[in-house]
Amino acid sequence: MRKIYEELAQKKEKIRQMGGEKAVAGQKKSGKWTARERIEYFFDPGTFTEIGPFVKHRITAFGMAEKDVPAEGVVVGYGRVNGRMVMAAAEDYTSMAGTFGEYHGKKFAQAIDMAKEMGIPFVGMNDSGGARLQEGMDTLEAYAWLFRSQNLASGIIPQIALLMGPCLGGQAYHPVMQDFVLQCRKTGFMGIAGPAFVKTQLGIDIDLETLCGVEAHAVKSGCTHLVVEDDRDCLDKTKELLNFLPQNNREKPARLECTDDPNRPVPELDGLVPEHSLMPYDMHDIIHRIVDNGYFFEIMKDFAKNVIIGFARFNGRSTGVVASQPNWMGGVIDCDAADKVARFVRFCDLFNIPLVNIHDTPAFMIGPYEEWKGILRHGAKMLYAYIDATVPKVTLIIRKSFAGAYLGMCCKDTGADLVFAWPEATVTIVGAETAASVIFAKEIKNAENPEEVRAKRIQEYRDLYENPYRAAERGYIDDVIMPHETRKYICGALDLLENKSVARPWRKHSNINL
Amino acid sequence: MNVNAPMVGKLVSVDVQLGDAVKKNDPVATIEAMKMFVKIYAPGDGTVKEIKVSPGDVINPETVIMVLE
Repeated sequence: MRKIYEELAQKKEKIRQMGGEKAVAGQKKSGKWTARERIEYFFDPGTFTEIGPFVKHRITAFGMAEKDVPAEGVVVGYGRVNGRMVMAAAEDYTSMAGTFGEYHGKKFAQAIDMAKEMGIPFVGMNDSGGARLQEGMDTLEAYAWLFRSQNLASGIIPQIALLMGPCLGGQAYHPVMQDFVLQCRKTGFMGIAGPAFVKTQLGIDIDLETLCGVEAHAVKSGCTHLVVEDDRDCLDKTKELLNFLPQNNREKPARLECTDDPNRPVPELDGLVPEHSLMPYDMHDIIHRIVDNGYFFEIMKDFAKNVIIGFARFNGRSTGVVASQPNWMGGVIDCDAADKVARFVRFCDLFNIPLVNIHDTPAFMIGPYEEWKGILRHGAKMLYAYIDATVPKVTLIIRKSFAGAYLGMCCKDTGADLVFAWPEATVTIVGAETAASVIFAKEIKNAENPEEVRAKRIQEYRDLYENPYRAAERGYIDDVIMPHETRKYICGALDLLENKSVARPWRKHSNINL
Repeated sequence: MNVNAPMVGKLVSVDVQLGDAVKKNDPVATIEAMKMFVKIYAPGDGTVKEIKVSPGDVINPETVIMVLE
C-alpha cells in the first residue's frame, strides 16, 4: 500500500513543479508570478481545491506523445475569496507556454460550466502563448467550447478576466466576452493578432506593447476595464471588485454594515457647481462626497472620460454609479461614452445592482464625426439599456440635462423610479439661444433692433424653461432638493426600492442596437 | 508633440504662452462646444514651442492647436 501512496505524492509534486525550475525562473524574471502563486495569493488561505491536475492531452503528432504538460497548462479549482466561493482557472505559462489545446480548453470550459451550475463567480487568469498549433482542429474546436460555456454563463454568474500575460489571437475573445477585464500594466497583452502576424499580413511594423498593451485597450479600444500595476495589484483589485457583486443573478450583492450616516448632510455641495453655466467642474467631487465613506471604485476611467462609471455604496448597498463628466468634452455623450454606459447598465441590471444616474450633460454629440460614426446607433444603446433594466434606478440632475441626453441618461420615463434635481438644474428640449432663434426667427429678422429682440426672447425662454420646475410640475422630477440633502435622498430612495419588482411580458430579448 | 482637441469646437482661449513648461494633463487651451467650455489638456510633459490657432478659430480633432517639445 505504501508504494501507491508514494507514487501519488510524487506525481502530484511533479505537477506542482509546473514547467520545471528553469521555466519558473524565467516566469519570475519577466516580473510575473507563477499560476500557482497567483492562485495561492488569490484564495483565502487553505481554501483552494484543485480539479483535474492529471488531465492530459491526447495528441501524438509532432512529438507530442512524449510531451508532458503539467496540469495541461492551466490550474483549475475552487475556494473562498473574501469568504465566498469562487471558481478560477489560471494559465501556466511555464508549462508549454500555457498554450491552449483541446484538454486545456476542456478544463477551462468545464470550470465555467461548473461555476454556472453552482452559481459562483468565475475568474480566469490569462497567461498563454496562444493556440497549441500541434493539435490543429482539436484546438480550434476547444475555443468554441470555451466561448459557448462563457456565453451560457453570462448573466448568470459574474465572470472576470485577468490579463496577467499575453492572450493573442481568437483566444482574446475569451477575456473580452467576460464582464470585466483587468490588465496588468507591464505584462498583460490582448489582441486579435500579435505584431508578427500584423507584419506578415499587413506589412505594418508595430511592437507588442503599442498594439496590445494598456494604452491600446484601456484608452483607445475600451476593451479593458481596469489597469493594474502587477500581479498582486491585479488580484487585490479583483477581490475588491468581487465585494460589490453577488454570487449569481438570483442573489443581491452583500449589504455591508454602513459606518457613514445615510442622512449625512453634505454642505460643501451647496455652491459647488460654478454659477457660469459654461464652466466645467470635476464630477468626482460630487460622487466622492455622496457615497459611503467617499469610496468609489471607478471602472474604465481612461476611456470615454466624458462619462464616469463605477461601483460605490449607499447605506451599505452596492450601487452602480453612472455620471456625466463636465470636465471632459463638457460631459457630452459620444459613441464611446454611450457604449461604456450601456454595457455597465446592463451588467448592473443582470446582477441586481441598483443604479444612480447623475446628469450634467448638454447633449448627444452632434456633427459629421459622430454622426458618421453612428451616434444614433450607439446612443440608442443607452436608451435600450435603461428602459430594459428592471433594477432600482435613481436619477439626480445636477445642472444641464437637455434633449436626447436627458432621455439617454435615464429620465423618469426611460426608466428612473425616482428623479431628484438640484435648483441649478436646467431640464428642457434645447438651450434658450437655439430655441429663441427658431421660434422668433421672423420677429427677430423684422425687428428694428434685432439684437435687442433676440436677447429679450432668449431671456424669456430661459426664464420659462431653463430650470427644474417645469419638469417638476409635470411630475417628471419628483422633487427639487438642496444639494446638501442629496445623500439622504438617494439612500432613502434605495430603501424604498429595495424590493422593487417588475413584471413584463415574455420575449426573447429586446433588439438593442449593437 | 501635437496638442489636439477631443472634439469640434470654437477656440475661446489659449491658456499658456510660448516657452511655458507644461505637465501632462495641464489645461492648455479652452474651446467652446455644445454649450460648454471644454478644457484641452496637455498629452504629455513639454515646453510650448508653437501656437497654431487663435481665438475664434473652429477646431476639429485633426487641428493642431499647439506643439509641445
